[in-house]
Amino acid sequence: MTLTDPHPPKAPSGPDGVLARLLDHPARGSRTALVAVPALALLGALVVGGVLMAIEGVAPLSAYGEVVRGVFGRSRGLSDTAVVATPLILLALGITVAYRARVFTIGAEGQYLAGALAGTAFATAAPLRALPAAVLLPCALVVAVLTGAAWSGLTGWLQSRFGASVVITSLLLNYVAAAALAWAVRVGIRDPGAFTPQSRPVAGLPDLPGTEIHLGFLFALAAVPALAVVLRRTRFGFRVEVLGASPEVLAVNESRPAATRLTVLAVAGAFAGLAGFVEVAGVTERMTPAFATGYGFTAIIVALLGRLRPVGVLVAALVLAGLTVGFDEAERVFVIPSATVGVIQALIIVFFVAGDALSRRKAG
Amino acid sequence: MPLPSGTPTSDDLVTPAAVMLGIRRVFGTGPAALDAVDLTINAGEVHALLGENGAGKTTAMRILAGLDRPDAGTVAVGGAPVTEFAPRALRERGVAMVQQHFTLVPTLTAGENLAMARPRGRLRPPARQVRRRVDELAARHGLAPVPTDVPVGRLSVGEQQRLEILRALDADARLLILDEPTAVLVDAEAEALLTVCRGLAAEGRAVVIITHRLGEVFAGCDRVTVLRRGAVVCAGELVADHDRTSLATRMVGSAPAAARSRVVTASPGGAVRLRLRGAALRRLQPLDLEVRAGEVLGVAGVDGNGQAELEELLAGVTGAAQGTVWVDDAPVPIGAPRERIARRIAYVPADRYRRALAGPLSLADNLELGRGPTRRPPKPRREAQAAPALTEWDVRATGPGAPAASLSGGNAQKLVLARELAAERALVVAAQPTRGLDPEAARMITERLLDAAAGGAAVVWFGAELDELFAISDRLIVLAGGRASAPFTPPYDRAAIGMAMVGGHRR
Repeated sequence: MTLTDPHPPKAPSGPDGVLARLLDHPARGSRTALVAVPALALLGALVVGGVLMAIEGVAPLSAYGEVVRGVFGRSRGLSDTAVVATPLILLALGITVAYRARVFTIGAEGQYLAGALAGTAFATAAPLRALPAAVLLPCALVVAVLTGAAWSGLTGWLQSRFGASVVITSLLLNYVAAAALAWAVRVGIRDPGAFTPQSRPVAGLPDLPGTEIHLGFLFALAAVPALAVVLRRTRFGFRVEVLGASPEVLAVNESRPAATRLTVLAVAGAFAGLAGFVEVAGVTERMTPAFATGYGFTAIIVALLGRLRPVGVLVAALVLAGLTVGFDEAERVFVIPSATVGVIQALIIVFFVAGDALSRRKAG
Repeated sequence: MPLPSGTPTSDDLVTPAAVMLGIRRVFGTGPAALDAVDLTINAGEVHALLGENGAGKTTAMRILAGLDRPDAGTVAVGGAPVTEFAPRALRERGVAMVQQHFTLVPTLTAGENLAMARPRGRLRPPARQVRRRVDELAARHGLAPVPTDVPVGRLSVGEQQRLEILRALDADARLLILDEPTAVLVDAEAEALLTVCRGLAAEGRAVVIITHRLGEVFAGCDRVTVLRRGAVVCAGELVADHDRTSLATRMVGSAPAAARSRVVTASPGGAVRLRLRGAALRRLQPLDLEVRAGEVLGVAGVDGNGQAELEELLAGVTGAAQGTVWVDDAPVPIGAPRERIARRIAYVPADRYRRALAGPLSLADNLELGRGPTRRPPKPRREAQAAPALTEWDVRATGPGAPAASLSGGNAQKLVLARELAAERALVVAAQPTRGLDPEAARMITERLLDAAAGGAAVVWFGAELDELFAISDRLIVLAGGRASAPFTPPYDRAAIGMAMVGGHRR
C-alpha cells in the first residue's frame, strides 16, 4: 500500500536510538512546522521562564524588557551577540553535517577544547611565538582545525575498528579533552610569568573595521553559505544524505559507509577545532581553566533548533547568543539567578522535542 | 443477521466472523483508499482478498485488525459492533493479523516471543517450557516445527511467518488475516501454508488471505472478494464459480495481456561473462557456475538455502569466503559500488527498500545513487535530468522531487530498474524482481530484464515462483541446503525440480 508507508524506518537501538527518533529525517514533516516548532518552543520556554522568574519575585516583563534592551538598547549589545554567536555557529555547522548523516556525535565540546589547546600550544611555542601574527595565526588555525578533525575522527575509527558507539566515545572524549585542558594550563603550556594557571597570551584576531566584532564572526558568516553549497552540490553532501537515510543503501550503491562516516566526523571536528581557536584568538586571548564553557553542548541545541540547515543554524545561534547577552545585562539590574539562561535553553529543548513529536504525529 | 428464534442452527454458524459495511478511508488529500466497501467474512472459511497493488486490500484488513480506523462505515466482529479501533481491543475479540513486515522481536527466541505476547505470571518462563509451548502449538495446528533454540532474527522468512501464525493461534484467534503470506515463500512452502489455512478453517476459524496470486485462490480458498481502486468489484463470491480469466479481469479491469513467451535458446553462443570457481560464503557451499552473454539463469529454491549469499557474492556486497567470482575476466569489485557500476554490473536486490532505495530521498536523488558527478548540478536541473527516465519507465509519482518512500511497490521497483538498467550491462543480478508487484508492473519488469539479456548481458534471476522461472530461464539451478543442483534445461521437469528443492535439508 502506498499510502500507509509500508516500510517505517527501523529505529536503531541503544544510545543512538534516542537521538535518531528525535531527529527523524529532515525531509519529513511540513514546511510550516519546520519554522513554527522551534519558534513556538522558544516562546514556550520564555513563558515558563517568566513564570519561574515571577516565583523568584522578579517581574518577568520588565526582566525581558531589560534582556531586549541589553541586546538592542546599548552600543555593544549587537556586537557582543555576534561574538557569542561565533563559536556557536561554527560548532553547530559541524554538528549539522554529522546529524544529517545520522552520526550522533556529542563530542563537539571536546573537539573545541582540543582544537583550542593545540592552536594555542602551537602559537605560544618557544620558537614560533616570535613570528608575526599574520603568519602565526593562520598556521595555528590550521593546527586547530586538524586537531579537532583528528579528535573527532578518532570516534569514527573506534566505531569501524571495534564497533564502539560514536555517542559514547565522543561523549567520553570530552572528559579527556577537559582533563588535557586542566593539565596543559597548569603544566604543559603554562605561562611561567603568571600566578594563576593559564597559557601565554595569543596574538588576537583583528576586529572588523568600525566594529568591536573580531574577524572570526566573518569566518562563521562565510561558513554558512559555504556549507550549504557543499551539502547541496557536492558528492560528499549527497553521501551525507544517503548515509542519513540508510547506511545499507549507501554501501550497496554509492560508497563505504565507514569511509563516509569518518569524513563526516572529521568535518564536524574541523568546525569545532576552528571554533575553539577562533574563540581563543578572538575573545579570551589565552587558555585558562575557565575556557570550557559548554559551547559544544549548547551548539547541539543550536543545530536542532536550526533544523540541521545552515541558515537555520545561523538564526538559532544569533537568537541563543542574544538571550545570553541580554540576560547578562538583565542580571545587573534584577536579581535573577545566573542559571536562568541555562534553564530557558533546557526548556527550549523540552518544548522543541515535544512540539516536533506532536507535529509529526499530526502530519503522519 | 440474527435469525428468527427457534431456528435450530447454532449461533456460530450463522453469525459472520466479521462484517464491514460502507467503509471509507482517505489518507491526506489523495483519492479514497477505500470507498463504500462492504465485506463479510464467515467463520469456517478461507476468504481470499484479491486486488492489484494499491487496491486497498491491506488498508481494509488493517482496519479490521484495529491498526487503522475507518473515516466512515461500521465494523462488526462476531456480531457485535466495534467501537474502539485499537489492535489490543480487536485482538481480544479474536482478530489477529500477520503483516507483511513481521513484528517479532529478532533477539528473542520463538518461545520467548510467544511468552512475551501472552505472558503467564510475572516471571520469565523457563526456556524448556516456552520451547514446549511452541512445539505443542505447531503440532496441534499441523504446522511444521519452528526452530526454538536460536534468536528469531536468524530464522528464515518462512519460519518467521510460521511463528507469526503460531503467535496468533496462541491467542486463540478466531479470525486470522494473512497479508500476502506467500509473497516471501516458494511454492512448496506456500502449498503447506494453504493446507494449514484449510485446517484452521475446519476448526471453525475464519482465515483471510490477501494475495496477488490467482493460483492460491483456486488451490485453497472458499470465497473471494476482489478490490479495485478502493471499491469492491466482486463481493465474497464462491471461488468455484470463477476461473482464472474471470478473476484476473475483475482485478485489472480488462483481460490481462498474455505473458511474453520467450524464445528459449538451448545453447546460447555468447561468451562467458560470469564465472564462479568454488565460490562459497556462509551457508553457500563452493559453487562453480558460468553464465554466458544473452543467457538468463534462473535460481530456484526455498528461501534461506543460500540465495541471499549468492546474491551478495554476485553483486559484490560481500567477498567470497573462498573461491572467485569473475565478470568479464576480472574479479567482481567487493564493497565498491561505483566500481561495480563501472564494471556494468546491475543489481536489483531482493529487499528493494532496504538495499536499493533511500526512502526519504527524492526519486531524482535515488536515480543518482552510485552514478552522479562529483559536482552536482543545481536541484532543478537534476530533477529535469531525471524526468525522462521516470517517463520512460512509467514511474508514477507526483514528480522527480517526490520521496521514494511514497512510491507503491511496482513503481519503486521500476525506479530501481530505471537506474540499474540505464546503460548496457555485462551482468544483471535480479533477486525476486517481480515480488509483490501487480501483474502489469511485473510484466513490464520481466520484459525489460529479458531485453537486457537480449542486449548481451548475462542475467541471474533469483525467483520464488517456478512458473515465472520456467517462462524466462534458459537454464535453471536449484539451491538447497547451500548446494546447487546440476542445471536444468527446457523443457523443465517440474517434479524433478521440486525434488531438488526439497532434496537438501535445512541448516
